[in-house]
Amino acid sequence: MRLAMVIDLKRCVGCYGCQIACKAEHGTPPGVFNTRVVKQEIGEYPTVNLVSLPVGCNHCSDAPCVASCPTGASFVWEDSGIVDIDPDKCVGCRSCMMACPYSNRYFVSERLDYYGDKGPTIIEAYWNAKTQLGVVRKCNFCRDRIMEGKEPACVANCPAIARHIGDISDPTSEVSRLIKERGGFTLQPEKGTGPNVYYLPA
Amino acid sequence: MTSGQLKYEKFMVDLTREYRPQREWAEGRGLYLIIGHFLVGVAGGAWIFGHLFDHPASLVCSFFLAVGGGLCHLINLGRPERFWRMMRCIRTSWVARGFWGISFFMVGGIIFLPALVFPDFLWSADSFIAKTGEAIAWVGAVIMIGYMGFAYMVSKAIPFWNSPLHPVLYIAYALRGGAGLLFLLAPMYALAPRLEASLLQSWIWITCLVIALWGVEAVAVMSSGDGAARRSFHELFKGNLAGYVYIGILLLGLVVPVFLLSGVAVAQTSLSLAFVGLTSVIGDLFIKLCSVKAGVHIPVRI
Repeated sequence: MRLAMVIDLKRCVGCYGCQIACKAEHGTPPGVFNTRVVKQEIGEYPTVNLVSLPVGCNHCSDAPCVASCPTGASFVWEDSGIVDIDPDKCVGCRSCMMACPYSNRYFVSERLDYYGDKGPTIIEAYWNAKTQLGVVRKCNFCRDRIMEGKEPACVANCPAIARHIGDISDPTSEVSRLIKERGGFTLQPEKGTGPNVYYLPA
Repeated sequence: MTSGQLKYEKFMVDLTREYRPQREWAEGRGLYLIIGHFLVGVAGGAWIFGHLFDHPASLVCSFFLAVGGGLCHLINLGRPERFWRMMRCIRTSWVARGFWGISFFMVGGIIFLPALVFPDFLWSADSFIAKTGEAIAWVGAVIMIGYMGFAYMVSKAIPFWNSPLHPVLYIAYALRGGAGLLFLLAPMYALAPRLEASLLQSWIWITCLVIALWGVEAVAVMSSGDGAARRSFHELFKGNLAGYVYIGILLLGLVVPVFLLSGVAVAQTSLSLAFVGLTSVIGDLFIKLCSVKAGVHIPVRI
């Protein structure tokens, strides 16, 4: 099985729901966005369009971050094709951040709280105790939720049903059908990394 | 404001830019990586020239530079206590190969150099143990001067580095730095006049090679490079890094040494050559600093 995500740019309303859902699910500190929404103007006057482009880890089939990691901390789950990081193995060299053409990895070197001097909230204190400093973080398609049979937080919380996840190696799956019928495309295919996040045209 | 808060503020501003500068390998503890690459490069180059010109002082000096460079590499890590894990992925990772290179060099140096420096040491410089150490250090030196450029070249996020010229440039910097170090040591540990002329010729040829490679890179980036690579070049010559480039690289690293070597103002003595070595080495540090700091990420867009 190889998991892939399909994001329908026609449906995405740019509400940042996925970004917030991910932050709530993983308790990411300030400056870490496992998924984020980029606003992009396309076209030329007078036919200009503002597109909301949700971006995150592309869980590439030939992930350069995995190849560049000197410790094996960046790895691919064989059962799903999810690219993940083992924080216990990461030395924080950041070579994976330089290798990722999508720039979707984040190095957390210091504890930062959203309310600064007022200290961490209860939920921040919970996540601070669970996560390591001096290591790189990234999206893992909410692997824990997937193992429980749930959808990733960004998919489950999208109010416009713009995100879909499924097995791309199964030609009858919804993601395979959407990519085929709607002309799904990937970002920066010329980099040759085989990304597994597809976008449907706006 | 703490460094973490400052980093966050910069990051949030960077996200609004079309071309986001890479800061992880250039600011904060990332600066140690640049210094580490500089020291390790000079160490590798000095090892090669030290052998070619039979100059034991530069061999010893290159060992200590490599130790300093290795320490800088460690400081750059987020979790330095796990450094030993970097020996694992040598088949795919240039960082892991670099780790092996520096380790080989240090182990080989520890075995070989005491025998070279102390005639009454446990084993002689011609013994099998010393020769084995020397061979190990040679392998380490070759990896050390080679791995840096490749580590940058495989960085797909930064188009300016993602060029096949980068490894050649880094090898050339290392050799130039090595020659510069020999000049720097010349007043204390003299070279034979014939060797000095030969080393000078090597330095000139390598400098010409560096200039030619930069020319080719400039033409390649400006004619067919993508927007992010062009942005990096703009940063170097017209942007925030222009001061470092014109004063550090061109003036200190090129104009001053060439002026001194021309013999117009001062006669060519070992002291003037030492000054040439010093300015050349400082120029190389600025080259590395600027080319790393100039890196910008590929913009995320459809």
